[in-house]
Amino acid sequence: MALVDLITPEVVKVPLAGKTKNEVIRELVQVLLDAGRITELESVYDALLTREALGSTGLEQGVAVPHAKTRAVRQLTAAIGIAPQGVDFQSADGELSKLFFLLLAPPDQSGPHIQALAEIARLAKSPTFLRLLAGASSGREVAELIREG
Amino acid sequence: MEGPIRRILLYMDGSEGSITAAQYAICLSRYYRAELTALYVVNTRALGDLLKARIFVKAEQEEYLRDLEEDSQRYLNHVRSLARKKGLVVQTASASGTVHQEIKNCVLANKIDLLVMGELSSVRSRRDELYDEADRALRTVPCSVLVVKDEERVAALYDALV
Repeated sequence: MALVDLITPEVVKVPLAGKTKNEVIRELVQVLLDAGRITELESVYDALLTREALGSTGLEQGVAVPHAKTRAVRQLTAAIGIAPQGVDFQSADGELSKLFFLLLAPPDQSGPHIQALAEIARLAKSPTFLRLLAGASSGREVAELIREG
Repeated sequence: MEGPIRRILLYMDGSEGSITAAQYAICLSRYYRAELTALYVVNTRALGDLLKARIFVKAEQEEYLRDLEEDSQRYLNHVRSLARKKGLVVQTASASGTVHQEIKNCVLANKIDLLVMGELSSVRSRRDELYDEADRALRTVPCSVLVVKDEERVAALYDALV
């Protein structure tokens, strides 16, 4: 399933209110709960923190990709958040993270999970796309950029 | 004179479309008395890219690789089962690397006449045009390609095969 199929305005939060890594992750999980994409919060939040404990998913250029396998979803599920002020995500380049791509997958869907993560990795290589995304002010705008990116 | 199709390669990726393609390939194999090979490619290129991008840590890459290898066996077993039900034998092959390149390699190595694959996903973004592996395989293999559609008709053909 392509990212464009996963990202709708309902699963985008702009701006994020969280000031810490854990707060941002919880906020995005709450977005999925509010959008009806997941039915409970805590196990998803725990799965994401467990994955982060293996090593931060904070990349370079202000991008972070928290992700996890969880039985709390039946299909690939994603959310995007933008924190203009930046959040310390222990990123690879030491810079604050501003763009968050959260991805959840059921344990038996590794193939689609990898495809979606690879798509995010490609997007994260485009400074132009990242600049445009960081400047987005609504979920609709983010969804449109994902379609055009 | 030999028939137009002697060796068929079925590309399996586990999608519903590829299961339909498997049923059609089995029908074609029977009709043309063609050898049938089913291929699954573990996309280790993507796994490597994710590690390089630091989205994956090493342990995670290894875990997903195991998952994909298990998927490979599961899907190829399913094709064997579909063929066996119709009294056919299908050769299976599992490769790893860049998907479209491995499909092309298999076509060349086995002197394939026809590549059969499931319906391509619709192009929803510009990225799809550049990175869809099935689409790239379709464009780069040196043999004819059959993209199978119409799941209901194909299922009926397969069921009717005795």
